[in-house]
Amino acid sequence: MGKPRIHVGLEIGTTKTVMVVAEVKPDGSVKILGLGETSSAGVRKGEIVDYPQIRACVKAALLKAEDLSDVDISSVFLSVTGPHIEGLNNRGTYRLPEGEPEIRPRHVEEVKEIASDIAIPSEHVYLHSLIRHYAVDGQPHATMPTGLMGRKLDAEFHIVHGVRTRVQNSIKCAREIPLDVDDVVFAPIASAQVVLERKWKEAGALVLDIGGGTTDYVLYVDGAILASGCIPVGGDHVTNDIHLVTHLPLSKAEQVKKTEGCASGDPEKSDGIVTVPDEGGFPDVELKRQILNDVIRMRFQETLELVKERLPQDGLVRVGKGVFLTGGSSQMAGLGELAQDVFGLPVYKPESPDVSGVHAYIKDPQYSTALGLIRYAQILEEERPNSTAFSRASGFFRSLWPFGG
Amino acid sequence: MIPYERTRQQTIPNSAVKIIGVGGAGANMLDRIALDGMEGAELLACNTDVRTLTSSVAPEKIQLGRNLTRGLGSGGDPSLGNQAAEEAELEIRDALRDRKIIFICVGLGGGTGSGAAPLIAQLARDEGAFTVVFATTPFNFEGARRREQAENALAELSTLANALITFDNTRMGELVLAKQGVHEAFSAADRMVSESIRAVTRIVMRPGLVNIGLDDLMAALSSPKSRCLFGSGIAHGENRAQQALKNALVSPLLDRGSLLNDTDTVLVHVCGGEDMTLYELELLMRGLSKHVPETAQILFGTSVDPAMAESLSVTLVSSLPEDRLRADFSKSVSTKKAETFNDNDTGESESSEEALPEDEGSLAETTDPVSNEEIPADNDSSAESGQDSSLVKQEVEQEEDEIIVEASEDEAQFEVVEEESQPGAESNIRIKVKELPQSQEQDQESLKIVPDEEPAPISNEDLASAFVEAVPSLEETGQSLDLEGEDAFFAETGPTGGPAPIKVESLEEIQASAQAKRPQGELALDGGPKGKFEGEDPNLIEGEDLDIPPFLRKKK
Repeated sequence: MGKPRIHVGLEIGTTKTVMVVAEVKPDGSVKILGLGETSSAGVRKGEIVDYPQIRACVKAALLKAEDLSDVDISSVFLSVTGPHIEGLNNRGTYRLPEGEPEIRPRHVEEVKEIASDIAIPSEHVYLHSLIRHYAVDGQPHATMPTGLMGRKLDAEFHIVHGVRTRVQNSIKCAREIPLDVDDVVFAPIASAQVVLERKWKEAGALVLDIGGGTTDYVLYVDGAILASGCIPVGGDHVTNDIHLVTHLPLSKAEQVKKTEGCASGDPEKSDGIVTVPDEGGFPDVELKRQILNDVIRMRFQETLELVKERLPQDGLVRVGKGVFLTGGSSQMAGLGELAQDVFGLPVYKPESPDVSGVHAYIKDPQYSTALGLIRYAQILEEERPNSTAFSRASGFFRSLWPFGG
Repeated sequence: MIPYERTRQQTIPNSAVKIIGVGGAGANMLDRIALDGMEGAELLACNTDVRTLTSSVAPEKIQLGRNLTRGLGSGGDPSLGNQAAEEAELEIRDALRDRKIIFICVGLGGGTGSGAAPLIAQLARDEGAFTVVFATTPFNFEGARRREQAENALAELSTLANALITFDNTRMGELVLAKQGVHEAFSAADRMVSESIRAVTRIVMRPGLVNIGLDDLMAALSSPKSRCLFGSGIAHGENRAQQALKNALVSPLLDRGSLLNDTDTVLVHVCGGEDMTLYELELLMRGLSKHVPETAQILFGTSVDPAMAESLSVTLVSSLPEDRLRADFSKSVSTKKAETFNDNDTGESESSEEALPEDEGSLAETTDPVSNEEIPADNDSSAESGQDSSLVKQEVEQEEDEIIVEASEDEAQFEVVEEESQPGAESNIRIKVKELPQSQEQDQESLKIVPDEEPAPISNEDLASAFVEAVPSLEETGQSLDLEGEDAFFAETGPTGGPAPIKVESLEEIQASAQAKRPQGELALDGGPKGKFEGEDPNLIEGEDLDIPPFLRKKK
């Protein structure tokens, strides 16, 4: 890793499409060179439903990003999400052959293969299989066990898989721009890379990426992913709820949600009346704050509880750090208090991570996934100095991409 | 109009049909068949291994190689299996005597199955029975040796049996999800076999508005060196005709319908409740015609069964010469992904047939294009008779040349045909209920509905099974056996009383077929406004539609 490398992250979100261009310096620091953003059309709940529309959006984001960063973008890291993607854990056990007491790299390869050999539905495809930890003769080892003496080697993997065709839709969208796809990353895993520091991963933390169309979560315990997934509910639902309950038009509902809404459940904040001005000269609409806040709170509460139910039973107990909120909808007022009520853990909103450049973007949780993709690329590169991210990714795509490479 | 009590048809007495399970795998299939409730047939288990033999639920058992293997298995050696069977030859002969149709279920590859089955098939033919062999071939991982043994046995069987239907175990694995337990995989395979036997039996033994008989079945299976294609589906509600067809086409033996593109003859049997309309049949046949070549001969049969209630079932039977199948198969493998229609199919019909994987599975080598006998004798018992009595039975007489009344004559005829192996249709044996007073007969005639072609009484059972919520019991089977008991092959039964009891099949079968063929009903959500998400698929998690505001949902 002698010279700086440029990575590009592309997130095709429900509300917006973001492309981030960043430079990773040899010392590991990251500099954001530019960020192209357009509001998305043709994406519902994290998945592409209108292909031509979203392709135009990606194209526009690409042009903006190239313009700002002055970089010719040819390949991207792509984040995907959607309720079809799920994460599960699997353990593989390998008994060392007689007469070979020392664990060698090929034994580790073997156990990896066993652990990732898990039955997923035939129409699904692996997105990630991430090592959680190894154990030698039942004793846990977080790092590489090569060189140790032992008889039995265990590996625990967290495997993320999703419906092949739906994942391909996102990839196809990028490929037709045309952009090469270096790797596909499940969105919350990307977000977590920018939201969480290494020690927080060790301590245990839950990352909730509440976006426009989906709420993605990833739970880190002991430095490894214990659970990940996606619930197809996001900020759009809140807006829609307000629209349905109060009969405000959607645009007004969105505006009221942002400016007046509060999810905290604090009675003080639910006092009085919100007045929604009407530009057309008709009488203003008045709305009880209590109702508005109830609608918002019930939606978020339900969503957070759905996440909580999906976490493994002992998962939250092992969280030492707390719950990290990110994603555009995490800016909702009072959401922190609500999350604290639901999870009973300290709640953090993202702070500016360790990157320099266009700072305004970095403070904004809306961009955590796209920025996370850069971090992900960086980590991938650090972990695989020899086999570059690209060669790995191209192998991945050969298996995924039906039209040859 | 003079009320007319529909006559009970000539039946094939249950003693005329025998199902034999050979070897361990055969015994498993037999158990599955017994548990699913196969009425109208005797079950016989033959094995060298006493342990598995005693645990079989088959009422009749023959131990092979009593002196040779002394109650142990044959150790995977077909020659040993063969010798063991020779030792029990007399016993087997006795058991097979005077049976008209013999099904042999066998798992090939091992010793007893591969060794004894050909001999038993030979004996069955010697005894003048129409012999159908259902064989499974070993899993790939069982190694080349077993596969070779299986293939040798297959080659033998294909010359000995009238029809050979093979199921490839490797493909059977695709019947179930990878996650499911191994016993699920095996029982799915057994179920498939059981279902096929049932379908063949139904075709032969059950009456329909437009009847289908053995002759039609043989015509459908007649291409020499061929593989049997079989699919059956059930559906209800709107669009049930198309849905049932779709479900039938996703059968792994049909490669999701694509294998039908090359067939010469297709046998189709449709069974529905009393509200089945001609229009539905037309729709269904039109749908099917997209899957079969224009030149193909379609043997169509239909029957009405009140037990079907609002459901409709479709059963397809056809065959494809092996060479064509190979070509097709490789093609289908390479283009599998591209077969969007099929893919959709599986997707939509949710669990139909457990959403399987394609293809083949079975190869039926009809060796002797033999005997087309029409055995119109239909068992009127059980579920069917409900249908029968309510509906005018058509005695489909199409091409029959002769009307033979005497059972004995029939039998004679049957045998002759068998031996001559004539594929001709001339020998169709049709039995008319002569005893009927003329007037009744006329009535019957005048009441007759459609029948242009022959009818296949196929999947009534399936249907019934899916809808009759009842638990299967051997007892029940026993009962129905009693009902049907008849000695002569084509015995004639006069008009009989009311509807027989509705057929009961095993719970498992019910579940399986319900699962397999009935698209899962969608809950009508009381719903609520969904605003911008209107018109999308319900976003269901734990029974709640997340697109509806919790505020509205929880206030209610």
